[in-house]
Amino acid sequence: MKKKTYLHNPATLKIDLMLRGTRIDDPVVKAWACGSAGVDIMLPEKTLVNIPCREEFTRNSPYLIKKKGSGYLITDGASDVEVSLVEKPSFYNRRTTTGVPFSNIASVHGSYTVITPSPRCDFFNRSVECKYCAGNFDVTGREGVVYSVEEVLEAVEAVLKEKASGIIYFSIGFSDNDDGGLGFLKPYILAVKKSFNCLVAVEALPPKKNHWIDETYALGADSILYNLEIFDRELFEIICPGRATLIGQKRYFEALEHAAKVFPNGTVASHLIVGLEPPGSTCMGVDYLSGIGVVPILPIYRPSANRALRIEPLDTEIILPVYKHLYKSIKKNKINVNWVRDISMVTTPVELKSIVSGEKQKSIVDGFYNSRLGKKTAWGLATLRRKLRVIDRDDDSE
Amino acid sequence: MSIEIDTRPIWVILLLKALRPAFYLAVVLIFWGLIAMPTPEGLSIEGQRAIAIFAVCLILWVSNIVPLAITSIFAIVLVPVLGVLPKKETYALFGNEAVFFILGAFILAGAVMHSGISNRLALNIMKRFGGSPRTLLISVFLLSAFLSFFMSEHAVAAMLFPIVLEIAKGLGLKPGKSNYGKLLFFALAWGCVIGGVATFLGGARVPLAVGMLKETTGDTIGFLDYSVAVFPLVVILLAAGYLILTRFFPIDIEGVGSARAVLERRIKGLGKLSVIEYATGTVLVFTIIGWITLGEGFGLATVALTSVVVLFVFKLVKWKDIEEYVNWGIILMYGGAIVLGAALDKSGAAAWLVKSSVGNWAGSPWMAFALFSFLSILLTAAMSNAAVIAVLLPVSLGLASKLSMDPAVLTYAIAVPAGLDFMFPMGTPAIAIAASSNYINVKESAKGGFIMFITAWVVFNLVAAWWWPLIGMGYSR
Ligand code: SF4
Repeated sequence: MKKKTYLHNPATLKIDLMLRGTRIDDPVVKAWACGSAGVDIMLPEKTLVNIPCREEFTRNSPYLIKKKGSGYLITDGASDVEVSLVEKPSFYNRRTTTGVPFSNIASVHGSYTVITPSPRCDFFNRSVECKYCAGNFDVTGREGVVYSVEEVLEAVEAVLKEKASGIIYFSIGFSDNDDGGLGFLKPYILAVKKSFNCLVAVEALPPKKNHWIDETYALGADSILYNLEIFDRELFEIICPGRATLIGQKRYFEALEHAAKVFPNGTVASHLIVGLEPPGSTCMGVDYLSGIGVVPILPIYRPSANRALRIEPLDTEIILPVYKHLYKSIKKNKINVNWVRDISMVTTPVELKSIVSGEKQKSIVDGFYNSRLGKKTAWGLATLRRKLRVIDRDDDSE
Repeated sequence: MSIEIDTRPIWVILLLKALRPAFYLAVVLIFWGLIAMPTPEGLSIEGQRAIAIFAVCLILWVSNIVPLAITSIFAIVLVPVLGVLPKKETYALFGNEAVFFILGAFILAGAVMHSGISNRLALNIMKRFGGSPRTLLISVFLLSAFLSFFMSEHAVAAMLFPIVLEIAKGLGLKPGKSNYGKLLFFALAWGCVIGGVATFLGGARVPLAVGMLKETTGDTIGFLDYSVAVFPLVVILLAAGYLILTRFFPIDIEGVGSARAVLERRIKGLGKLSVIEYATGTVLVFTIIGWITLGEGFGLATVALTSVVVLFVFKLVKWKDIEEYVNWGIILMYGGAIVLGAALDKSGAAAWLVKSSVGNWAGSPWMAFALFSFLSILLTAAMSNAAVIAVLLPVSLGLASKLSMDPAVLTYAIAVPAGLDFMFPMGTPAIAIAASSNYINVKESAKGGFIMFITAWVVFNLVAAWWWPLIGMGYSR
């Protein structure tokens, strides 16, 4: 039987690459491009992908990145396609005035840059951390570093000056507060909004009361993510014990539903990790989330050496229908797909258009969204919307 | 910050936002129309302008589109600019005794609250008399009323709210469900409202009304005279309020043991009576005696401000401690209302308005009394009570001379009902505070409040007809 090739559809290729990783034959390129977080590559049709390239993960991958002249191509052994390596932002090599490497604070993932003001997560202190997290992220439960507002502002300035991305994405782990960590993030969000005309996203854990969600929006967050990660209740309890016992799936649903009423259409999102639960269960999660107005984002689980959580077998043929289902579900529920786009770590709904309909991914509208004018417009509209929607009761007349 | 997100469709919000400028434009057009129209017969040009200012302020006060105080400042600006009164006279009106009395009362109340004596008194009374559900309820009701005799009813509601909430939680009462929970918070709110009309101190509206009366006619109302006149009203309303509440919401608990534990814990937390509490309480007692005995001669404001000086001389309170209790917005609002009242009166506008409008309906003194008291109690359900006085009093005083009525009686007719809002949270902060507990909702408040509204108006008119002649007051001079 002829071996199936994904090389000619960038969207399917992205999925297959994320699932299987790639080998890199040139040791110089490998050392230069392949960090622990994978290598960022631009596929045809400006499809950005972050591909795992650590040896233990990619040993059996059919893909190989080769140098061709001054450029690169990716081959699966049978055919190949031209790609380009995305250079690491130059600010990664610089430091804040206090001496912290910018790369410790900010990491670029395409259209957004993740800022982690403190890599702490209290789940670790209680030994209820998410099972997939411990090996994959640089997170600790200790009273670890907290970067100051000034340090974060310097990092954001570097990101924006270099036009590395236009969305600043604050990420925070679990803290045992009613506010889901908003109190901690507040000075950072306020400072960024005060100093720069950029969009801000917040990834946090659901707060206990909905008014914190309102406040997150009022403070200046343009997008919010409460990542459910796993829809199947039993697997959720096993794999994410902290989230299950200290927050609970029900609270995730409530918080997401409320957030979807407060934030603009398409800006409330939640991850469902593909590969940690059966595809059918992920599809049910997709339907549930898009039904309440939330964008499901489907990252692919990347196993680490000592954690074999993955549901097997897992290959592109099995998970492609899940992504197609995602696209259809989003369209059916009329969710705006323009916010979650051009992200290296996940396949976005805009990219899925070509898998489902065969159309080219990028249209004139997409070009506008990526242009300077488009970004300015998005920022202006988001600011205006907030001005109209937020009512400050303290400001009322007698 | 207290944030709310408007989740209505964006076009609805935009439309409503667009209404605001349209509203301002309409106000400007009305103002301009009133100024530009030919001056009616019998009205001076200054009178016409005063009416135009009055109309604009009326619209702004009722709509509350800008803070009440800002509307008042606007009146102060317009009166001299349009030549209704000379600017010197306009600003001098702000130095009215009533304004300073209100300022003094705010500072005194702030000192009393800050010292902790009022809190201690409240807790001890509740503990002492609250042995059963019924007596605890009566204690909350009467205590709210009693404290509102001496302090602004809003301050009393704010002070007692956390205690009552803790009691309700201590008793395990379910918000929105428990009858006893509703009773406690209604008792708090209604107690404050009823007690608030008993003296000059329950709210700043009575001093404001008296200030306007003095500015317009030279007459005044004494501290004690006022309380004697309204005393039966307060007693009857307290009894009626209790009956109505317990009929609407029969007591549904057996014992209050856990509430007593809450009270005991709180009292323990206060420690022993401090010198500052003791001294502040003494100053307050002497101030009240001063108001009763020296008020006529020296003026209520003088007595209040003397006590304020004493508080500071003896270092019983610091300026920064009482600053949060002084509501400058209310003071500005009242100053402006007095200016506007004087402008309407001195320009002849008030008399003209009466002659050409209300005067036709209010043919006799008792009818005028009934009409104005009804308008006042009705408007106060929707408007701030200060605004009700600012709007109704100048017109009613104009009517007094036409009907040969005692203007002081008409001042009562407006000032007292203006404080009697039992229905809606927007009219009275005491109800708003109680409603914020989630134990009672607006619908219940409106239902019970409506019966109280009717009762209060009828009782007030009966008191005026039967009690006042006994103490030497009458509709006519
Ligand atoms: S919430 Fe879970 S995934 Fe996130 S940092 Fe904590 S343990 Fe890791």
